[in-house]
Amino acid sequence: MAILFFLMVASYAAGLLLPLCCPARPKIQNLVAHGSAAFGSLGGIGLGIVGLFGPDPLTMSVPSALPLLTFAVRLDALSSFFLLTISLIGLAASIYAVGYVTAWYGHISIALLGSLYNGFLLTMTLVTLADDGFFFLIAWELMSLVSYFLVVTEHEKADVRHAGLFYLIMTHVGTAFIILTFLLLFEGSGSFSFDAFRHPEQPLPDGIRTTVFVLALVGFGTKAGVVPLHVWLPYAHPAAPSHISALMSGVMIKTAIYALLRVYFDFFGGQFPWWWGFVVLVVGAVSALLGVMYALMEHDLKSLLAYHSVENIGIILLGIGAGMIFHSYGLDELAVLGVIAGLYHTINHAVFKALLFFGAGSLLYATHTRNMEEYGGLLRRMPWTGACFLIGAVSIAALPPTNGFVSEWLVFQSLFMSYQIPSLAMKLMLPIAAAMLALTGVLAMTCFAKAFGISFLALPRTSHAKHAQEVPWTMRIAMGVLSAVCLALGLAPMLAVPIIDRVAASMIGSSIADKMLALDGWALAPVNVEFSSLSTPALGLVLAATAALGLGLVACCGGTFPRRYSKTWACGLNLTSRMEYSAAGFVQPIKRVFSTIYQPTVKLETEFLEESRYFAKRRRFEFHIAPVFQTYFYDPVIAFMSGLADRMRIVQGGSLHLYLAYMFVTLVVLLLAAL
Amino acid sequence: MSWLTPHIATQIVDFGSAMLLVTCFAIVAQRRLSACVDLFALQSLFLAMTAALVAFFTDTRHIYIAAALTVVVKVVVIPRLLKGVIERLNVTRELVMKVNVPASLLICGALVMIAFFITEPIMPFGHLLTRDSLAIALAIVLIGFFTMISRQKAVTQLIAFLMMENGLFLGATAATYGMPLIVELGVFFDVLVAALIAGIYTNRLQDAFDSVDTTRLNELKA
Repeated sequence: MAILFFLMVASYAAGLLLPLCCPARPKIQNLVAHGSAAFGSLGGIGLGIVGLFGPDPLTMSVPSALPLLTFAVRLDALSSFFLLTISLIGLAASIYAVGYVTAWYGHISIALLGSLYNGFLLTMTLVTLADDGFFFLIAWELMSLVSYFLVVTEHEKADVRHAGLFYLIMTHVGTAFIILTFLLLFEGSGSFSFDAFRHPEQPLPDGIRTTVFVLALVGFGTKAGVVPLHVWLPYAHPAAPSHISALMSGVMIKTAIYALLRVYFDFFGGQFPWWWGFVVLVVGAVSALLGVMYALMEHDLKSLLAYHSVENIGIILLGIGAGMIFHSYGLDELAVLGVIAGLYHTINHAVFKALLFFGAGSLLYATHTRNMEEYGGLLRRMPWTGACFLIGAVSIAALPPTNGFVSEWLVFQSLFMSYQIPSLAMKLMLPIAAAMLALTGVLAMTCFAKAFGISFLALPRTSHAKHAQEVPWTMRIAMGVLSAVCLALGLAPMLAVPIIDRVAASMIGSSIADKMLALDGWALAPVNVEFSSLSTPALGLVLAATAALGLGLVACCGGTFPRRYSKTWACGLNLTSRMEYSAAGFVQPIKRVFSTIYQPTVKLETEFLEESRYFAKRRRFEFHIAPVFQTYFYDPVIAFMSGLADRMRIVQGGSLHLYLAYMFVTLVVLLLAAL
Repeated sequence: MSWLTPHIATQIVDFGSAMLLVTCFAIVAQRRLSACVDLFALQSLFLAMTAALVAFFTDTRHIYIAAALTVVVKVVVIPRLLKGVIERLNVTRELVMKVNVPASLLICGALVMIAFFITEPIMPFGHLLTRDSLAIALAIVLIGFFTMISRQKAVTQLIAFLMMENGLFLGATAATYGMPLIVELGVFFDVLVAALIAGIYTNRLQDAFDSVDTTRLNELKA
């Protein structure tokens, strides 16, 4: 176990240093960096599996010269689960990156990119393994900084720099809250070790506990991207290289979920009032709904995916929030169900979101644009990418037989179980959350009908799309592996759920794996078999049989008709790509229905022919949706802060002598004050 | 050496420290840059002598090494370096001062009083023969700091910085009979590097502004 740990850390460390030392041949640097990262990820996968099945947690600690800081590492079930998720995506991203970075040979330093990439994986791993508050904060901050440097990989572009700055500020605001969280916990325990947080000398007073709850939710929520702290995601994720976006969106934001679970269930031992869970549930429901609604209006494929991360973090929090509510009412089995749903969606979202970002990256690689309106007809040109993207899209839209369907089904079931809660208010609230989740699911499906249809079907809209070619095989392998994982997790949740049950049971102390498996393990039931159950293999078989039936009918009866290939009839006109649905056009109905939320502004300019006002020469249509959070939440804060900074500028005279005088006066005053 | 009572030893060390303070005032009063450099070299020589005396009275070997290094670095190398800078840049005098010389001297006098006032409560706790030097060391640090603020040429500021460093060295010797040798070596290296960097920086300043007046640095502010 310890060997695996050292193997993993050594591989990442090698990947961190070796590319910088190798000769300036991008190809070698690429292979060294991403090869080491792949090895490290394999070590991480092994360590995660061992940790999940091992009897007791692995602990190691190295004291440091700094007071209060111990490099303590602990691998319990929760850490192992997140470590496994990170390493799985890390492995796929490493394979993908080998092909993806070839586009940058000669433009940017592959050595630096590869080195930072390894650093990113290493710090994320350490975040999940840290067993000391101080060490955790160091790993967390390094993770944020390294990811910032990765976001600004293409720093010669102004919008990338802007995105990076935005991300850096947001993540630091979040870290400030996290530091406060740990300081408050430290107040109660007198030590930064997680063990002391778990068993403080004297229990924290209620006021402090509530403050810790809020601070942790805000601090980690910033990293997770919950509404209204989500604004950095649609900037930062598109700006980063696609394999980095996949890691950031797929797993980095999940470290925040890990930390929230760690604080609420581990440090507080699950001792919290019902309204904590309710707050988490509300935050989750709002994030899910608003995330998908804003995603619908995005035409930049990677921004769209970034907004979907907000949505999916919301779904994960719905499961966890439901679990917290159940737990506070003593319904431990249902609490485990909620947490299992949340954790299962965590790994599922990691897999399909990474897959979709890989797909988006492949489109970017082939067409050099992220704007969906410039795609079209790519399925014929990039069949592998198209097939994998379709599987990812089906997963994120929560359709069977993929993994997204199973975990969303579990979230629904845990919300429906609210009838067992004694409180009437909660009995009503949880089904409302379920209704919001249902709306979210429908909108997500619309969104991916748009994303897939506009990008891959019909005719190419630009020459970029027309001349697109399939991507290198390493990228295809990475996408293929993740597609297979999507299907496997969708068809065989009976194998995954008992493992996740161990994780949830380690936090809550009640195992429901036996009750969740029905029909000798061929079906899944939410604790109560009479309530509902789901057999994914049977569902998969039915789907396959339906498809086979259709194909069979065609083969039997359709064979008599001769096949004709001809152009689609367009009322006598030639078909052009301008006749296609555009991405903007596709979402017009949604925009109208939800115009209270979007507050759209539509601009239509028409240039008429000089001869007659009845014939338009050119029309220009624009629509924008109001950036509500920016206007009402961020702009006032930013205005206040920059006003404050302007006033502070007086102190910054720019004169060397003035600065020296500040120091001198401080020194003398302090010396005199010390008397 | 029966005449060498601890009392007399203390007097001799105090005398050496006082000479350092006197050279400080001389630097504050001096407008010619090359003379400032000479005075700094003289001050460093006094410092080396004081350190050697402390080493002799207390029989501490490693202070001899520190004293020897002081002679090499601060009496020979750095003054030569500074003279080179002054010659190349053709700046000989500190013409405009923020605080004129008489006022500076008065303020420096006040700083010495503050230094003695501050160290007064801790003096009785000391039992080393160098204990009175602590006040002088603090006074030198404060005067060096003040000189950095009140002078405009980068070269003078550099000399003032080195003066502060001398004060710190004296303080370390006075308070604890010197720091461990390895620390002292590190400090000497630091000072040398600082002087080198400041020399280069002065040259760049000349290139950028045609002057070594650091008040013009605020032009860099947007």
